[in-house]
Amino acid sequence: MPIPDIILNLNCFTIHEKIAYESMNNKELIASMALKMNAPKSVVAVLLETTVATCTELLIDAKTIGFQSFGNFEVRKKDERLSVHPSTQVRTLIPPKLVVNFKQSNILKDKLKDLPHHD
Amino acid sequence: MIKEKISSQEIIDLVASKASVSKRAAEEFLKVMIASIEEALMAGEVVKIKNFGTFKLLWNEPRKSVNVQTGEEIKINGYYKVGFVPDAVLKEQVNEPFAHLEPVELDGEIKKNELIDEADLVSDPLRLFNEQASEIKNLISEIQALSANSNVIAEEEKKIQKTEVENEIINEIPQNTQELIDGSNEEDLDLVDIEEPVKTEPSHSPLKSSFENTIDDKEQPLEKTTDNEEQTIENTDSKLLSELPSTPYLANIHSTKKKKVWLWVLIIIAIVSGLGVGSYIFYPPAKEFSAQTFANCQYSIAKVTENISISDMINSVSKWFTPAPKPVSKAVTIVIPKDTNELDSINQTLPVDSLQVLFETPRVYTDFIASERITPGNRLTIISKRYYGSKDFWVYIFEANKERISNPDNIAVGTLIRIPKLDKRLIDTANPRCLEKAKELHDIYIR
Repeated sequence: MPIPDIILNLNCFTIHEKIAYESMNNKELIASMALKMNAPKSVVAVLLETTVATCTELLIDAKTIGFQSFGNFEVRKKDERLSVHPSTQVRTLIPPKLVVNFKQSNILKDKLKDLPHHD
Repeated sequence: MIKEKISSQEIIDLVASKASVSKRAAEEFLKVMIASIEEALMAGEVVKIKNFGTFKLLWNEPRKSVNVQTGEEIKINGYYKVGFVPDAVLKEQVNEPFAHLEPVELDGEIKKNELIDEADLVSDPLRLFNEQASEIKNLISEIQALSANSNVIAEEEKKIQKTEVENEIINEIPQNTQELIDGSNEEDLDLVDIEEPVKTEPSHSPLKSSFENTIDDKEQPLEKTTDNEEQTIENTDSKLLSELPSTPYLANIHSTKKKKVWLWVLIIIAIVSGLGVGSYIFYPPAKEFSAQTFANCQYSIAKVTENISISDMINSVSKWFTPAPKPVSKAVTIVIPKDTNELDSINQTLPVDSLQVLFETPRVYTDFIASERITPGNRLTIISKRYYGSKDFWVYIFEANKERISNPDNIAVGTLIRIPKLDKRLIDTANPRCLEKAKELHDIYIR
């Protein structure tokens, strides 16, 4: 039965394409990196994990990480604030918190400048 | 907060040493990583790195602006920028120092306090109720000690219970009660007078009024308002003891009209005692209540006898004679639901009270699970979260270590604190009452 097979294949192909276009998850990133580095995926995976762990540790110590040509990761402190629920008028004191902030570098910004808007 | 900037070179060094690879390899890896991310972003993809976060292009709309110096209008073109949303894992780890804090509802807190006040108000009458019950119990024991016919009372009580089904026994009971009245008439009345100020609990008045209503309806000479009756009781209490003639009194009871009244009275007593016995059997903590109802029964018997004797005396006084009868059935049905309601409410509040009792009993800390030394940045709330599952239960750790901690907000570094073993019901995170109690204690210790 050749006709249904073709239809099935086509369907699979289109779905896969769509997902790949919308997002790149951890696995796909590792795959593309492995291809570029000519290294096995497992090695890349370990290296990525180590990098993430290192960055996390540094951020926990409230240090700023600067990747040249990419951007800076830094920890910012959001002060406590008073929020009022718009409909119930319940005032809530939101405690201070630490968040990770990323600011792109100028190099990256320039690269993105010429990117046409598509939506 | 001093911000130390780590360059990519330092990252390369750290990664190289951690993953035990050459620096060159690490450097290449980092370059490739950034290149891959950039590439993917350029292609309009969302890049997700596990445990770290998500990179995404965000479009900034073109907008008009004004040159501050010249006042010229300039158009800023729309552009993309890289947005980064940290992963939940990273967020949590970075926010560790403030993790113990929680949003506080400012208006909500006031409402909660009000609720607690209300709860106190609700529990206050209950406490009074219990106190009264114990007082009445004491009085009953005194009566039993004083009256020689205490055995007769017990017998009577037993027989009343039987009359729930058998109506034949009803005829016997008046005889028993006669004996009771015969022997301890004066004493009983005397004690009833003493009891009167004490008896203020709600179940008493409806019962009394119902008896009075039945009497009103069934008996012609007794047709008068309850107010008048009470007045007469007050007025003639002192006279009663001396003036009560014993023989005509007994004769009155033997009359057929009185028998009808007794029948009604006994049915009501049977119902009430039945309720009491039922609650006693099905719900042991209702002991006190059944004791009360027993007291009520006794009191009402005495009361009815009193009323009858008063009525004899007042027959001649026509000015109190007012025809205001109410339908008996209604009066009776009103009384019975009231009683059952009371039982229900007690049954409902008692299980809650067992927890209340647990809360109110002073906690003694003898068993300890572990001990911790306070390090900089460590707090009781964090320790509590680790051992009990909720940071709200820090108050119990504080209570167990009170002699070592002067200020729970600022504990000296190096202080050794012991983690007490707590009753599981006390630290039930699923029970809002436990959390409420912990918060209550929190307010006590913090303010």
